[in-house]
Amino acid sequence: MSELSASSFEPIEAHQQTQVISRPSLSYWQDAWIRLKANKRALVSLYIVIGLLLFTAAGPLVWQIDPAIQDIDQISQPPGTDRGATIVADYEPWFGTPGLPGSGLRLAESANSQAVRMQWDALPGANGHRVYRNLFPVGSELAYGIPLAEYLNNDTLYFEDRLDLQPGRFYYSVVALDARGQITDQYQSLTVELERVTTLQEALERGLIETGDSVQIGDEIKLAWHPLGTDYLGRDLLARLMAGARVSLFIGIGAPFLFVLFGVVYGSAAGFMGGRADQLMMRFADFVVALPFLLFMILFKIAFGIGPGESGVFPMLVAMVVLLWPATARLVRGQILQIREQGYISASQLLGANTSYLIMRHMIPNTLGVVLVTVTFAIPSAIFTEAFLSFIGMGVAPPTPSWGSMSNEGIKTMLTTPHELFFPALFISFTVLAFNLLGDGLRDALDARMRNVE
Amino acid sequence: MSDTGSVVIETDQGFIHSAGIQLAKFAGIAIAGLAAFIYLLWIIAGDAGSTTSGNAIDVENNSITIALREEPPQLDANRATDASSLVVLAHVMEGLLGYDIDSQLVPGVAERYEIRADGATFWLREDAFWSDGVPVTAKDFVFSWKRVVNPETASQYAFILYPIKNAEAINSGELPVETLGVRAVSDRVLEVEFERPTPYFDKLVAYLTYFPVREDFFNSTEGRYGADADMLLYNGAYLLTEWVHGSTMRWVKNPSYWNRENKGFLDEIRTAYITQDINAKLNLFKDGQIVDTHLLSPMLPTAMEQRWPIDRSMDGSVFYLEFNHRNDRITRNKNLRRALQLAQDSNELVYKVLKEPSYLPGVSLFPAWLTGVSESFQKEYPPVRHQMNVEKAREHLELARQELGLDEFPPLMMLAGDTPISLLAAEYYQQLFRKNLGLEFRIDVQIFKQRLEKMRQGEFDIVLSGWGPDYNDVLTYGDLFSSWNLQNRGRYNSSEMDSWIRIAQSELDPQKRMDAFGEIQRLLYEDVVILPMYERGFSFVVDSRLQDFRRRSVGPEVDYNYAYIDSSSD
Repeated sequence: MSELSASSFEPIEAHQQTQVISRPSLSYWQDAWIRLKANKRALVSLYIVIGLLLFTAAGPLVWQIDPAIQDIDQISQPPGTDRGATIVADYEPWFGTPGLPGSGLRLAESANSQAVRMQWDALPGANGHRVYRNLFPVGSELAYGIPLAEYLNNDTLYFEDRLDLQPGRFYYSVVALDARGQITDQYQSLTVELERVTTLQEALERGLIETGDSVQIGDEIKLAWHPLGTDYLGRDLLARLMAGARVSLFIGIGAPFLFVLFGVVYGSAAGFMGGRADQLMMRFADFVVALPFLLFMILFKIAFGIGPGESGVFPMLVAMVVLLWPATARLVRGQILQIREQGYISASQLLGANTSYLIMRHMIPNTLGVVLVTVTFAIPSAIFTEAFLSFIGMGVAPPTPSWGSMSNEGIKTMLTTPHELFFPALFISFTVLAFNLLGDGLRDALDARMRNVE
Repeated sequence: MSDTGSVVIETDQGFIHSAGIQLAKFAGIAIAGLAAFIYLLWIIAGDAGSTTSGNAIDVENNSITIALREEPPQLDANRATDASSLVVLAHVMEGLLGYDIDSQLVPGVAERYEIRADGATFWLREDAFWSDGVPVTAKDFVFSWKRVVNPETASQYAFILYPIKNAEAINSGELPVETLGVRAVSDRVLEVEFERPTPYFDKLVAYLTYFPVREDFFNSTEGRYGADADMLLYNGAYLLTEWVHGSTMRWVKNPSYWNRENKGFLDEIRTAYITQDINAKLNLFKDGQIVDTHLLSPMLPTAMEQRWPIDRSMDGSVFYLEFNHRNDRITRNKNLRRALQLAQDSNELVYKVLKEPSYLPGVSLFPAWLTGVSESFQKEYPPVRHQMNVEKAREHLELARQELGLDEFPPLMMLAGDTPISLLAAEYYQQLFRKNLGLEFRIDVQIFKQRLEKMRQGEFDIVLSGWGPDYNDVLTYGDLFSSWNLQNRGRYNSSEMDSWIRIAQSELDPQKRMDAFGEIQRLLYEDVVILPMYERGFSFVVDSRLQDFRRRSVGPEVDYNYAYIDSSSD
């Protein structure tokens, strides 16, 4: 038996924990965030979505080009085209140069992208001439190319080509016509190398040079830079993609967010209340499903007093929100009905949980999976709906672009200038993919049932 | 307990293993079978393809295959309005006069004719027969024309008969049909009385609304005239022998046609495709399924690469921006219209934006192919050489603003069709006027019928519009902007214009008549009634074995009447 001293009665120092909790206590959202971060695909998608939002919101501040400006000199230019242009004098009409030296088909002036002026002597036996242009040499099969002009007498022996002149090599031919105006085998040809030119006035107008600049005829300047090329009216594709993103993301994110939110509230209310109220609310949802979307879109457009040629994006949003919520509402109601009967709900009710706790802690997290799947499917479908409606003239009004309308325009020239379709299509695909993957990751992260699965 | 458990699991795994092998075998067999089946199908299809491919021209049977733009709604010449009906009817029917291969007016059913100030006489040939062997007589024309102007027929082209005495009054229901100024003196002689002098009447009778209809046959069809191949009588170079609605038609050579030495050389023409899709037509042509197709500018590089012989034709129509001159529209202000006129240049539109090699930049309402007194109308009466001048345009705009008493111009409504070219032009003009004048335009895109309806009701400030010729005379354009013409959609109303049009309609001296058209052209520019955009043309390709195929500006857009197969030029 040991002796007791006064010191024996001093309180023991509060020291190390007797029990070690193996995991830090995390809130629901912290845990979700950790699990989202562990999901590489979802994280990359999240960055892409943030990047897109930045592209839409901050892009136009950096790239301050009006998406409606038409650069008529650079129509349908793919990215990375040479932009050099020589300044030449203003265009003056030309009606042949009498007494031009030389023989055969020949240039009257040096050829450039402003005009190619050629002149010839009447071909033997010709009752008229036809002028052709080709991208390839005429060859033995006498493929002259595109007929540009036709003269049914020998009075006109000159031709000025101004049609869509791009830098490069052209093969011109002049072919004799017989008495009935049909082509014969008689022809002369000419190979022309074109360089790109512009005039002082055009350069000033397009802001390529300043009024005070000492630029003279013969100097070389650079045409406006279009990083992603231009469309069929010479509009800057990058600026149009940014402007288009505003419409496409507004509809693509705004509409699904709003109608899913409404659907969740409506569906969970119906599911939670149950009984007669549930029956009534769901029959109303069935009624809304039966309403035709396009008809309502047109009705809203008229009801909002939006005339032809004005943007129909807002009525489109309203029509989508008003008509597309029942699918979400049904899903959520089904989930809530199911969850309501689960044992852990009864348990927490026994432990004194009130309604709001039940909803916030159990109901919503457990339905989030379904809701997020709905949202991720709704976003691409909303973007496509917008594209379709813009195509039939119910959506954006020209010149406002949207990705959908840009794709529809680009598909017409898919074979000759693929970049006009490629970029908007790329942006749509990336957006849709990013939202899908992000939604996938979010569902895994937010699903309460997967919380303990490591 | 644990032992038995592991045994069970082992047998389980063994079962799964063998089942897996079995499944893999099945899958292998299924894939191999499917591959073999597809290969078999491919061979069969390849065989079938080789028998049908390249049948655009069948040298042995002297027949060709073509594509139609759309199916004719019906083939009643008196009521037809669309281009496809015109194409079919121009091959299977013939009027009093027709066009030869070089688009010159030549005798048809009439062997000679005479046009006077007060009327015309046509002497019909004896060897013109209907497809049932009965001769074509003057009575058939009288019946047909009376039917056109009869308000009950509701022919949209009744106006083209208005030069005939009382036609307009009959059509509006004021006079009975019997009073129409046309009668059959005998089976061979047709007498026409004019409402007013109509020196171009010969050109009118070549139009399909003037084609003959035989009364006894018409009555026997019981209201189904022109609805089917056997509900129509033919007197043209070809007979329509088969018409499967929505898919094919078969035209065969008319053995009893009087002019078979100069027309109708092919034994058979099949219209196997009905499509408006120009890309589909290009592919059909590439595969040798049809003999001709027209090309749009994006297709031209392909055509050049394929080394096809590309041809061109003008379709005769002119496209322009038409202003709304009604009192409630600000476009009634001439200075505003002048400003818009000065701020644009049709050369830029055609050469840089539309890029169609067969289009001509618009300079006038009267296209380049029209003939004046002796040569090209545009040569005899050169249109004003328009120069774009933005500074002057802005001055006029400012004047217009003051005259209209506006602080700021409201957005203007630009009505456009839904074709790619129309949309392109509309977007180009929208930005051009915004840049040069600071005017905002709203583009109202409508389908063809709806656009016509909106034009009729005047729901536009500017409309992208066009006009195609009905007959080969300057007047087909010249009377468009008379105050009484219902096609004058902008309701332009000027007494000076009206008086010149009156002269152009009834003057018999060709020089004075053309002078009147020259004045109309001047007035159109000075009053800025319209802004010409372009004259439409087509680049097209034809199978090199088919000779003398024509695309026309007046008459059917595609004409196979004179075409024949030359197999040596393969």
